[in-house]
Amino acid sequence: MSTVRLDPPTATMISLIGSLADNKSALGRRYGEWAVSAPTIESAVAAAAMAQDELGHARSTYPVLAKLGVERSEEPGLDAGHPMFVIAEELPDWASVIAANLVVDGVLTTFVATARESSIEPLAHRARKILQEEGAHRVHAEAWARRIARAGGSDLELLVRRVDEMWAQAARWPGPDSDPGYCEAIAAGMVSGGPLAIRDRVRDWLYPQVGGVSLDEPTDWSDWDPQRRQ
Amino acid sequence: MSRAGETVWEVFARKEYSEPLHHVGTVTEDDEDLAVVSARAIYDEQPWIHMIIVPRASIREAISA
Repeated sequence: MSTVRLDPPTATMISLIGSLADNKSALGRRYGEWAVSAPTIESAVAAAAMAQDELGHARSTYPVLAKLGVERSEEPGLDAGHPMFVIAEELPDWASVIAANLVVDGVLTTFVATARESSIEPLAHRARKILQEEGAHRVHAEAWARRIARAGGSDLELLVRRVDEMWAQAARWPGPDSDPGYCEAIAAGMVSGGPLAIRDRVRDWLYPQVGGVSLDEPTDWSDWDPQRRQ
Repeated sequence: MSRAGETVWEVFARKEYSEPLHHVGTVTEDDEDLAVVSARAIYDEQPWIHMIIVPRASIREAISA
């Protein structure tokens, strides 16, 4: 992969879009692995459908990079890129699947929502299509959070722990709110909201879904890698 | 076979509004929203334009021979 233009907002968007595709690919793999292990046949089919959606989103998002001057020698494989560590390997339990559905899917989709009217036209087009399909993912996440909350006890304790584990990394994905490239991208109409707005929106949605989660604001950005967004 | 304590939903769908709704199967979920997600995911082999779910317990028999 090579880049032609690297002004700060374009570099930021290349990083965000490439990482969005990497993470959607990994999320699709993780959902797909649970399509044969979910608690019920209905959940298994829903996991398979969400896997198909995420892999499709990844496949259709990578070409948007070309609009920003990124040349790829070949199409990335399923294990390409640098997804968040929390979804880089098979998820250990169903609570982790629901936590990924709530937190990782939630952060990525909230970012995509900020690109709905992007000045990068192919990104705006992709965003609108992705948001249509993500509606079912959100319903799935909310319904399972309700179900686990009703069950309470150790099931709920595990979900709370998994949500906080996922949040510790997913909340860092948008990056620091003061990132100059991100600020310029907003000013240029490439996205409509910054990292803090994304975290706030996800947090406002998550708190009522899963009581007892922390969802702390990341403060230490000293080791943050803007290319890998982690 | 239904799972204890969960609702069985009958799923109906059609491909044209000029057609009647056809019974296409069931899903078993205690959550109404999850039942909708499941029905759409499971019965997606046809290009439906309309799908509804009905709790089996709400159905009343008019004839039972």
